[in-house]
Amino acid sequence: MTEAVSLNALDNEPYYLPLADEVEIFRAAYAARLPVLLKGPTGCGKTRFVEHMTWRLYRETANPLEVPLVTVSCHEDLTATDMVGRYLLKGDETVWTDGPLTRAVRTGAICYLDEIVEARKDTTVLIHSLTDHRRILPIDKTGELVSAHPEFLLVISYNPGYQSVLKDLKPSTRQRFVSLEFDYPDVEAEAAIIAHEAQIETDIAERLATIGERVRNLKQHGFEEGVSTRLLIYAGELIRGGIDPRRSAQVGIVTAISDDTTVQQAVADIVDAILP
Amino acid sequence: MQLLADHEETLALFAEGIAGRYFHIRASDEFGSHKRFTLSADGTGQSSDTVYLPEQLDAPDRSGYRVLLMEQLGLRECGTFRFRMARALQQVPALTTRYEPPNSRSPRTGDYHLLFGTFDQPGLAAELFNLFERARVLGYLSRTYPGMRRHIHSYASHILELGFPTEDPFICGTRCMWGESPIYPQWEPLTETIKALMIDNGTVYTSVSALCDHYDSIREIYAFVESTPYQPQEESLPDWLSREERIEEWQEDLEGIEMAMAVEMLQAEDVEAERGQTDDTAVREADIDIKSLQDERDTLKRRIDMEKSSVQHALGADRSNARSYRYDEWDHNNRAYLRHWCRVFEEDLTFTAADPEIIDTLRQTVRQYQSTVQKQLEQIRPTGLQRVTRIQDGDELDLNAIIEARQDIRAGQSPDERFYSRKERMHRDVGAVFLVDLSASTDDPIEPPEPTDWSNYDPDKSVNLRDPWDDPEDEEFDEEPKRKIIDIQREAMVVMASALDALGDTYGIYGFSGYGKDCVEIFVAKELDQAFTVGTLEAIAAMSPKRSTRMGPAIRHSVHRLMGSGHAMKVLIMISDGFPQDADYGPERGNHEYGLQDTAKALEEAQQKGVETFCLTVDRSGQDYLKRMCPDARYMVIEEMEDLPDQLSKIYATLTGR
Repeated sequence: MTEAVSLNALDNEPYYLPLADEVEIFRAAYAARLPVLLKGPTGCGKTRFVEHMTWRLYRETANPLEVPLVTVSCHEDLTATDMVGRYLLKGDETVWTDGPLTRAVRTGAICYLDEIVEARKDTTVLIHSLTDHRRILPIDKTGELVSAHPEFLLVISYNPGYQSVLKDLKPSTRQRFVSLEFDYPDVEAEAAIIAHEAQIETDIAERLATIGERVRNLKQHGFEEGVSTRLLIYAGELIRGGIDPRRSAQVGIVTAISDDTTVQQAVADIVDAILP
Repeated sequence: MQLLADHEETLALFAEGIAGRYFHIRASDEFGSHKRFTLSADGTGQSSDTVYLPEQLDAPDRSGYRVLLMEQLGLRECGTFRFRMARALQQVPALTTRYEPPNSRSPRTGDYHLLFGTFDQPGLAAELFNLFERARVLGYLSRTYPGMRRHIHSYASHILELGFPTEDPFICGTRCMWGESPIYPQWEPLTETIKALMIDNGTVYTSVSALCDHYDSIREIYAFVESTPYQPQEESLPDWLSREERIEEWQEDLEGIEMAMAVEMLQAEDVEAERGQTDDTAVREADIDIKSLQDERDTLKRRIDMEKSSVQHALGADRSNARSYRYDEWDHNNRAYLRHWCRVFEEDLTFTAADPEIIDTLRQTVRQYQSTVQKQLEQIRPTGLQRVTRIQDGDELDLNAIIEARQDIRAGQSPDERFYSRKERMHRDVGAVFLVDLSASTDDPIEPPEPTDWSNYDPDKSVNLRDPWDDPEDEEFDEEPKRKIIDIQREAMVVMASALDALGDTYGIYGFSGYGKDCVEIFVAKELDQAFTVGTLEAIAAMSPKRSTRMGPAIRHSVHRLMGSGHAMKVLIMISDGFPQDADYGPERGNHEYGLQDTAKALEEAQQKGVETFCLTVDRSGQDYLKRMCPDARYMVIEEMEDLPDQLSKIYATLTGR
């Protein structure tokens, strides 16, 4: 497997600042084993939210799972085979190896498919039987029907903003999930997040959050998304590392969000005006 | 010396980021259309959708423009245009003592007009007030945008170097605002006020209060000046901008009244239900309340409508839904480019309502042509999924590769690791823009008149041969409007759009027109990355004949859009009904050579950038000029207008099918 599959052990609590009732809803959805769909722009905290919730849920149930969360970052070459498993050549024979989804289904982990619409269409159809009352995963190549572990939960995320219409999620897929919408937090909350994550002063975190708010006003020009909270945190971390705030913002924000020189210049000017 | 042309695009984005809405950044020379107003002495100012900045700026670096721009945005952030006289009278006692309501006052009189009219020299009062407001805004900017401090400082020191201190209170005040220590003791109170305004977190009423405090001492200086330069200003930009903001406040009031009316009505119904018909006094009272609210609402509605049209008349057409760009133009006579010469406004057609009848006609046309056009385009349909073998990673093992690998291992050689196969979609990466001429001449009927449609001919129907004048059907036939060029253009676009949508190519549909170099208009019926929806159909239906045909900037803008789309193959197809012409397209009005050469240059630039171009015209005399304007074999004269959709799809297939 070459794709980014992180098998997350989650030893420490991942920080997450709830912005609305998403924690309660996720908890209730988990209790009923309802699959969850997270919608929102890049870097607004979807993955962190799943990690945080997994940590909470598995800590509470004292589940001895070694890998409670399996994350698959989907990309356009990701096929159903990559998720379910494949025959590998081992010595003189071909050996079946489970993919990340099958592993999660068997062990009862939370499987998080990040940016699901990026993956090929056969992948989205694959999860249909897992997300209704059947809770089974058919494996064509071995002829096996894997019943999901009682604690297994499927969480998918997608970003309705930048994907083209061709890559929109099919209604038949969409209507199998409890949908939670995410967006960038307001300046105050975002400042708190940046201050916590990057371990920097509130004042400079507020400035970074203001930059985020203003740059997001430009999101139709040259870059599909506004600057993400993640990028702002990166800039904050560079500042903590002793780099000059302007330079940190330059490398952490300005050059990271667009390749268009005009847009870069405008963003650099906004950063320049807001930072002391 | 800094040039606005060099920084305009960045400044527009910067302004959009800071203000959260789009402003056109235009040169103060382009302000000419507003005959009633003047910009401030440094060439800056703003209207409802535009910030005007000087074309050239004597500043140490480009941040000078940012300082001027931020000053204008700061006026909005600091609530300068939210000034209301009623509130000023409550908050500033010094103003109350001076103020006498003028006889000509109406609810629509501008608040600034009232404020400055309080003083015997309104122009002088306005200038003094502007000085205070500017100081307040500069102070606000330094506090809110700490990064701007050094730019303000560097621009200020440059300004101070350029001018000389004089005893004039305004020069003295301005220099103090830019950071110079006061030199003239008689103006110490004035400069102290300016400094205080910069430090305190005041409101617009703080500046009004300062105006009341200092007006008399300044007035004394100008009392003996004959032919005073301070004429009463009947019309000022801030006054109109504040009136524009006031409309929004009135809209809120209107909503409030409508809410109150709804509540009253509900209460009246309750009362009626409770008391039945025995006691109807309360019901009547409620009716009276509702009646008075209704009157209030109607008056306010009328006032809002009148004010809206006055504001639009004063400030010009609102282009806040459009975005603007500037492009070079090729000056054929001097063999040189005129830099940033034409301004292109790009506006979505979705904001305009389309005629439902046209939409119906378009729907029918799609059905009529779809099969033939689709057939032509299907020839270039992508091959779909293909299995790629011998790759490092895939969903299936490639048997042949496996066997070879096994053989290699047996033979003691290192095997090739690429023994998987995978299905891959063969991509067709085409981005096309259709540029449709929306000049006034597209309103002309097609000639010769359309042949009669005999497909629905009913031979059983009796024809009154004896008295044809009495035949009602004949009358109808005469009244039927003739089909116009624009109708065919719309139909061709709709047919192409639905066909291309099936093909899966990316395409945009733009109309273009305009009048003069400062107002070339691009109307976007469909953006490149948009999907074809009912909205697109409506937008195409909303395409209508406008004004002139300045082709050069329209082509340059389309190419700019195509280049930004990132497609491997880029195609631009222009459909027009005549040669390029516009009010100031060339030194002589009747001579089309200049426009022709500029268009030819724009097409040449497009080719150089890798955009395939094609010009279609329905002008039968088009052969003469198209030959000189377009690259070889990249133009066509459509003899029969009705052939347009068919020809268009053929051309598209040829251009992109290679």
